Amino acid sequence: MTRTPKLILAAAALALSGCSSLGAGEGLGSSYYSLVRVRSVQVGDGSLAVTSPRPWNRTRKLFLFDDVRWVEDWTLNGPLLDGMSFVTGLPSGKYLIRQRRTEDRQVPKFRSDMSAPEIVAMLESLYRVRGGSVDFRTTSLQPRRFLGVNGFQFDFEHLDTDELWRRGRAVGAVIDGELYLILFDAARSHYYGAAIGDFEAIVSSARKRR
Amino acid sequence: MCFRCCELNRRSLLIGGGAAAASLATGVAQARIRPADMHPLIGPGFRPTDRDEIGLWQQMDRVEEEVAGSNLLIKDPELIRYLQQRIGEVGGPAAKDMRIYLARIPDFNAVMFPSGFSVIFSGLLLRMRNEAQLSGVIAHESGHFLRRHMIRMWRDMRRKSDIFAIGAMVAGVAGAGAGVNTGDITQLAQLGTILSLFRYNRVMEAEADAMGVRLLAENGYPPIEMANTWEQLIGEQDASARHRRKRRDRGYSLFSTHPAPGARMADLKVSAAEATVPGRAYDNRRGRYLQAISPIRKTLLDDQVKLNDPGASQYLIETLARDGWNGLLRFYEAEVWRLRNRSGDDVRAAQGYAIAVAYADAPPEAWRWHGLSLMKAGRQAEARAALSRYLSMQPNAADAPFIRQMIS
Repeated sequence: MTRTPKLILAAAALALSGCSSLGAGEGLGSSYYSLVRVRSVQVGDGSLAVTSPRPWNRTRKLFLFDDVRWVEDWTLNGPLLDGMSFVTGLPSGKYLIRQRRTEDRQVPKFRSDMSAPEIVAMLESLYRVRGGSVDFRTTSLQPRRFLGVNGFQFDFEHLDTDELWRRGRAVGAVIDGELYLILFDAARSHYYGAAIGDFEAIVSSARKRR
Repeated sequence: MCFRCCELNRRSLLIGGGAAAASLATGVAQARIRPADMHPLIGPGFRPTDRDEIGLWQQMDRVEEEVAGSNLLIKDPELIRYLQQRIGEVGGPAAKDMRIYLARIPDFNAVMFPSGFSVIFSGLLLRMRNEAQLSGVIAHESGHFLRRHMIRMWRDMRRKSDIFAIGAMVAGVAGAGAGVNTGDITQLAQLGTILSLFRYNRVMEAEADAMGVRLLAENGYPPIEMANTWEQLIGEQDASARHRRKRRDRGYSLFSTHPAPGARMADLKVSAAEATVPGRAYDNRRGRYLQAISPIRKTLLDDQVKLNDPGASQYLIETLARDGWNGLLRFYEAEVWRLRNRSGDDVRAAQGYAIAVAYADAPPEAWRWHGLSLMKAGRQAEARAALSRYLSMQPNAADAPFIRQMIS
């Protein structure tokens, strides 16, 4: 079973896969994260540069497990509480996550002609299929400039099988047929409010590198 | 992360549970249990008197407390009352003692806990075509309680020193009791340790089936509906597997403990014929069922279709449509195609939305996606009309700002 690009999803996915009910989220080696410093850093496949207002933690990708090269995950307090994901130029026909062809439930593939509502539906399926969300609500979808083009802002809330309500915001755009997206998702109480400012700063700092 | 250990754990659990079941059934070509032979082993107001059972019930009370407080429960009072009435009808002598909870989990499952409370998954309500099918599942679950399967299984496991199964179960119960990750009903009921307790053996499943058929018939439901439920479940799993080009996996489901679904369905059919009294009128009470679930039927469909399991979803929608197509079913049929996203599916979905909006009861979302498909096809004027229709039906929609920009 593969994991998601969004490690915050790991919270519920872990539970879904029937892992020990005790100590979920523990036992991550110290090398699992690396420090993101307060300066311009390249994310994903290197085609996007962002500057965070404070240090975050970059999640190391596991080779052949969640190594979608266009996707990178960060967290501030651990993936159960908050996370930020960067999608940097996902090409048409590719998936946000690794998944087996034989999985019953699948996250739809991205297509370059997808409109914002379709991308939003793809993200919703990501949460339902991989994140174990049992309730998912779009709270807002509105136009927003991103990386100098007309994009969208998507706000949402979801209840996961670990009984926690989470809240998120994604800002994205399709540029030359490729998906660019930054997504923030955190526990609705406290953690969302505590880091949404970081997200906004990161989104406005985002520059395409080529 | 411990994705590996999870897999191993699960497999070991299944093997552990299966071993207990298999050892009972070894080498015995099991005969069908006749509904007429199934008498409840407990009466009204049953309370345990043996020490081990008292202990088990105490632990289960803690689990129930957790379940009752879970925010995954659907709390619609009328719907819950309706479900409670069903258990009151087909619950036999314990009808007044059993409690029922409805969890919002899009899977076909229901679990009876040893102390007489039952958790029904919302995905089950989506799959039932009438009240008789729902009552059949509830009667089956009640059968486990009435035949005291939990304590029989528990004692059987201990006698066989099935250390692993007992250890896993105690860990699960203790974990739940201690409030660790407890609300996770999916984990508890579907994959987790507690379910290993409920991996009843074949004989017990056959007993619950026979008991269920009897309770169903006694209450004027056509008992054949239990076999029909079975048939639908098998059909759905086959359709899902076929779509992903693999064989059906019998894991996870309500009836998964039985190794031979075909044989079981055949038994249910024979039992149904046996329990049917010639000349008596039976009613599947479909109208009442549809009315009871109508407030959440759209949510149920939504929860299923968005999982993007096209084989299963399409089978389900077609099964429900055997009782008649409507705008809601047509819309979700198109949604299945859109999410499936194979080449040509966009055209198929677009046609599906166009058909859906021809129904008077098409949901606002059908107009939304109809408009979005038209826009993609370059039919701007028609797209604007459809999207405007959507906005007039749902002026406060969360995505209204974006849609308004699209049509401006």
